[in-house]
Amino acid sequence: MTDNSSRSSDDAATDGGVATGAAQKHSDTDYLGAEVNILNPSTPYMRDHLRIVWSGFAVWVLAVWGPVTLTRLAPGPMTNQMPILGFPLHYFLVAFGAPTSALILAFWYSRKRDALDEKYGIEHGTADVATDGGADE
Amino acid sequence: MKASSILLQSELLPEALDISFKVGPALLVIGMLGLFLTIGFVFRVADTEDMWVAGRSIGNVENGMAIGANWMSAASYLGMAASIALAGFYGLVYVVGWTTGYFILLIFLAAQLRRFGKYTAPDFVGDRFNSDTARAIAAVTTFLIGFVYAIGQAKGMALVGLYIFGNYGGLIPGLDGYQVMVVAMMVVTVGYLTLSGMLGATKNQAVQYVILILAFVVGLFVVGYTNGYSTVLPQLEYGMLISELGSEFSEPFASSSYYLWVATTFSLIVGTCGLPHVLVRFYTVESERTARWSTVWGLFFICILYWSAPAFAAFGTDLYSQTVSPTYGDPGMTSAASEVIVVLAAQLSGLPDWFVGIVAAGGIAAAIATVAGLFIAGSSAISHDIYTNIINEDATQRQQILVGRLSIVALGALTTLAALNPASSIAALVGYAFSLAGSVLFPMFFLGMWWENANRQGALAGMTTGLTLWSLPMINQIVPTYIGSLEAPLSTGLATWMPAIGSALITLPVVFVVTIAVSMATDEPSLETKRIVRQCHSPEPMGQQETAEDVVAADGGEDVATDGGRAVDDAAAEGDRAVDDAAADESRAVDDATTEEER
Repeated sequence: MTDNSSRSSDDAATDGGVATGAAQKHSDTDYLGAEVNILNPSTPYMRDHLRIVWSGFAVWVLAVWGPVTLTRLAPGPMTNQMPILGFPLHYFLVAFGAPTSALILAFWYSRKRDALDEKYGIEHGTADVATDGGADE
Repeated sequence: MKASSILLQSELLPEALDISFKVGPALLVIGMLGLFLTIGFVFRVADTEDMWVAGRSIGNVENGMAIGANWMSAASYLGMAASIALAGFYGLVYVVGWTTGYFILLIFLAAQLRRFGKYTAPDFVGDRFNSDTARAIAAVTTFLIGFVYAIGQAKGMALVGLYIFGNYGGLIPGLDGYQVMVVAMMVVTVGYLTLSGMLGATKNQAVQYVILILAFVVGLFVVGYTNGYSTVLPQLEYGMLISELGSEFSEPFASSSYYLWVATTFSLIVGTCGLPHVLVRFYTVESERTARWSTVWGLFFICILYWSAPAFAAFGTDLYSQTVSPTYGDPGMTSAASEVIVVLAAQLSGLPDWFVGIVAAGGIAAAIATVAGLFIAGSSAISHDIYTNIINEDATQRQQILVGRLSIVALGALTTLAALNPASSIAALVGYAFSLAGSVLFPMFFLGMWWENANRQGALAGMTTGLTLWSLPMINQIVPTYIGSLEAPLSTGLATWMPAIGSALITLPVVFVVTIAVSMATDEPSLETKRIVRQCHSPEPMGQQETAEDVVAADGGEDVATDGGRAVDDAAAEGDRAVDDAAADESRAVDDATTEEER
């Protein structure tokens, strides 16, 4: 971290032989020169990242407001009692389904982000890896 | 807060709750507070750097627990089950809003905030938009959020305190038993907080999380088991009970409209992403990856409680209907009784005092943990963002800490007064703070992070609009309850379409449009600001103590050239730090000393 100004040349040198296409693009990118606009991603990394973000977001919207909207539209079928668990369907989808979906999505996203970092040849510090070892399921 | 006649109107004594002094539970609470203070003393702090971010040395799981403890307030522990019991399906808005928001926080803000690397929410707003006015508005908002949010906590602490310590109505002239308990509990909380800064608080919060989640979940298991409701998984087994509870418990849109449901969840979700005491957790971790994973852990720890709360509400409702009187219909369960339904459920199960005391003590732990986070965010807004950055730039360490402590006392006093005769349920009171965070801070974080052209004028216009729009439904619905001669709400139409608890559904899009339009109509922000935003999105890893500003300052010739000028502005200390950091990480100790001197 001591010498950011010569970052791109350094990386190019170290990555030289092993770099995948994405990692090469990463070392070629000047992140401080690329515009940030959520609607118009300007770097390959951000394009890939936003693809993950928006997919997760779409699923999340359905998980949060889907059940309640369906209940509004079709109260009959949605309030039926579920087999085995005994919940009215709408109640279960909201009280248990929504928080659980968010948790699963959060886990999914963090895994995806880690995979994305790997694809682009980005390594987080060693201290970081050590603390994550036990934490990461 | 003038006449005692107003104060005496409070009738917040929950029926059916066994209000008396109990030795075992009292010792539990005192022991718990003693433990907190001991930990606070062991990890006591002397300088502000430690106080605000606890040295950035906290890992995934511990930070996740701290997120959980910060999050799980009396509103989650008591208020949520209360709303689910009384308002049925509408009560679930809290379960949904207060968990799913973390995903939005994770995908849009957590890692970027860590990379930005500022201490507080106002710091972010002030530095991102290069404006002390913006910083001041954000600081005032942070303070207001702490205040509104804490009212609900004070109410929760006091109601649970009644069960443990009994009714001391009249001990302070003019105050009833509930009100005396509000004063007592707030004095304890403020006393504790003024002794300990954030390092102590963070260590505490991991301990507090463990205490309160055990108290809640063990309470749920035992109540479910002794009454034959459930065996090993009450979080799913309560489903079988729902059909016996009366249609009010689960019938959709019985007590509220679809619109209100959606507006409330929306508001709670965006509020989650804008709450300063939540966001501050992301500055305390060593890397953005830790920021991400500790969000996942935090959400998991939170979900444990949120899966359990509806089950507790179902058990409590059934026990209340069987042993006291029907929960629904006329007269039904009072709101005061519903607020302590978690404790009531344990008590009505015939469990021994000490066991009910554990459940009750968990409620107090939940409230204290949250008030700790809130008041620290609120007081740092005052001492760091308003006092040091705007009023007295040469403030010494000692002066800063003094101002910080005084603002904690001020927050405590304001909260106590407002909680003596609270306007709404615990969950709703807390919900108003979420509307505020979602209306003012979230749009600034989101646009500031994801659109580099958002500028100072846009932020000022947006935040002012947000504050104004948020206060409309508050004045309409809440303020009248504190003024004897007025009837709430002043306008039913406004209350229907822009409810105080769900106002962000209206305010957020307006604030977005205003901020974007004004930003486009005025000059773009400076290249340096844009580069800082870009650095927040770069995948390049950053050092543990590094901020986006440091990297940008160290990168490229043009910035080095302007560095001399930059050191003159309010970021002087940080500017120095940036250069030092980039030059040599080993000289950190020396560097710190410099920073402290200059702060």
